[in-house]
Amino acid sequence: DLRRCLISTDVHTIEESFRGIKKAIQAKDIFQNVTILSPSETLHSIKPSDVCCVTKNLLAFYMDRVFKDHLEPNPQILRKISSIANSFLSMQKTLQQCQKQRLCHCGQEATNATRIIHDNYDQLEVRSAAIKSLGELDIFLAWIDKHHHGTSA
Amino acid sequence: VPCVSGGLPKPTNITFLSINMKNTLQWNPPEGLQGVAVTYTVQYFIYGQKKWLNKSECRNINRTYCDLSAETSDYEHQYYAKVKATWGMNCSKWTETRRFYPFLETQIGPPEVALTTDEKSISIVLTAPEKWKKNPEDSSVSMQQIYSNLKYNVSIYNTKSNRTWSQCVANHTLVLSWLEPDTLYCVVVESIVPGPPRLAQPSEKQCVRTLKDQTSALKVK
Amino acid sequence: DAVAVLPAPQNLSVQSTNMKHVLTWSPVVVPEEIIHYSVEYQGEYESLYMSHIWIPSSWCSPTAGPECDITDDITATVPYNLRVRAVLGSQTSAWSTLKQPFNQNSTILTPPGMEVTQDGFHLVIKLEDLGPQFEYFVAYWRKESGAEEHVKMVMNGGVPVHLETMEPGSAYCVKAQTFVKAIGRHSAFSQAECVKVQGETLPL
Repeated sequence: DLRRCLISTDVHTIEESFRGIKKAIQAKDIFQNVTILSPSETLHSIKPSDVCCVTKNLLAFYMDRVFKDHLEPNPQILRKISSIANSFLSMQKTLQQCQKQRLCHCGQEATNATRIIHDNYDQLEVRSAAIKSLGELDIFLAWIDKHHHGTSA
Repeated sequence: VPCVSGGLPKPTNITFLSINMKNTLQWNPPEGLQGVAVTYTVQYFIYGQKKWLNKSECRNINRTYCDLSAETSDYEHQYYAKVKATWGMNCSKWTETRRFYPFLETQIGPPEVALTTDEKSISIVLTAPEKWKKNPEDSSVSMQQIYSNLKYNVSIYNTKSNRTWSQCVANHTLVLSWLEPDTLYCVVVESIVPGPPRLAQPSEKQCVRTLKDQTSALKVK
Repeated sequence: DAVAVLPAPQNLSVQSTNMKHVLTWSPVVVPEEIIHYSVEYQGEYESLYMSHIWIPSSWCSPTAGPECDITDDITATVPYNLRVRAVLGSQTSAWSTLKQPFNQNSTILTPPGMEVTQDGFHLVIKLEDLGPQFEYFVAYWRKESGAEEHVKMVMNGGVPVHLETMEPGSAYCVKAQTFVKAIGRHSAFSQAECVKVQGETLPL
């Protein structure tokens, strides 16, 4: 499961970076009645065997769409987003090694969950979708931490 | 008859105080209206749902807090809450909380701590803190069931040597052996969950004295 | 940029020990003028996805230099590009870029400082607090031939932690190393320190 694939990544450093921007980013999200990650429909029903695949897909979602679509003028916030993006890049590299060992299989449910998230993103205007997705990073990080905490003794 | 919105300043410092998933909304009266018979009305919102919901027990109340534990009991969801003040025909605009995420933000209370002692040892039995429950007769859920990596930091203070040391334990019993007889030891315990820092809530300090050394007592006779 | 009359800083290098990273360079000297510097960085994400983006350093944009603590900027285990330029009023030099990108996994990890004490029969250790990214492996054993070595992981430095309840009349030794999960590396072990417990050895 994910623990073997993310053994060297310190999720808490990423959480700390997010905590520095959570208030500012979530305050810019004016659509309270919409979520991108929709945890109860996606993340909460993921089986352990699909965890690696969903993590890989969501890292790619943030790297290829969210961080690119968000334009950040504030240098402090920009630094934190850069820190998170580069940490996600490091996690992607770890997962790539995992993939080579065929530990990152994508089942149908994982593929469906990923598609729901992309569909949610496409429903919103791109800047709003990006800011909302950034504001939901705590949901994604808590989900990773929950499946990864076996190593944080 | 609807009140005149904006006729009053908004309540201030609205936040959730959350301990073991008991989630209480609290705020300060509007500036300049301390002591005035202002009443408050609360609504809450489940992030991703459609509309604001009323909290009937917190409509036109005098106090400056409202227990929203039942409404926010699904701790993996995220919430907003808001409050407005009313005085006579005037009322304030709503003032709103930040997005509240109980799973990450609740404080983990201390465990219950039971100490028993003999000549040279102290046994410490810890009982995990319990999640808030609506009715006392409801079945209990331990915070350990929510945070499976919950641990305890046990601090021991030897009043004779004036030294303190700590131990991080995952299980619920700890025996401190080879202590000094007839010595007062004080114990404080905190619950710890790896991850985002949370406000720590240490247990009440409890002190026990190890028994007198029986062998030296026999020699004296 | 302004015409590069001002010479660019040279000899950029990074010294990194225990996850504290400092960028240094040779100062630019202009007689009777005070030169300031501006430092910027770019993680691998930026260089791959948005190569035009450079981020001003947290503490050194500007700085009197000629060094900059970039610890708060280097927060992921990926290569970072770093660059510096000199600033004199409205004049700026060309950027000087670190030849090789810096990765925090190259930091030098030193054994932790430690204070081994006892409270009666209790063996207690207090480790040097090196920061939130550090965990500590503490090995301890009873000082006798064939003794088994025990290992305990300590999450935080700076506080006295109980290791073992010792047998009267015996001696115990302790050594420690750091572990940084973010880079998956640990330091060498420290020198062993031993303590002796009063009291006669227990009859077998």
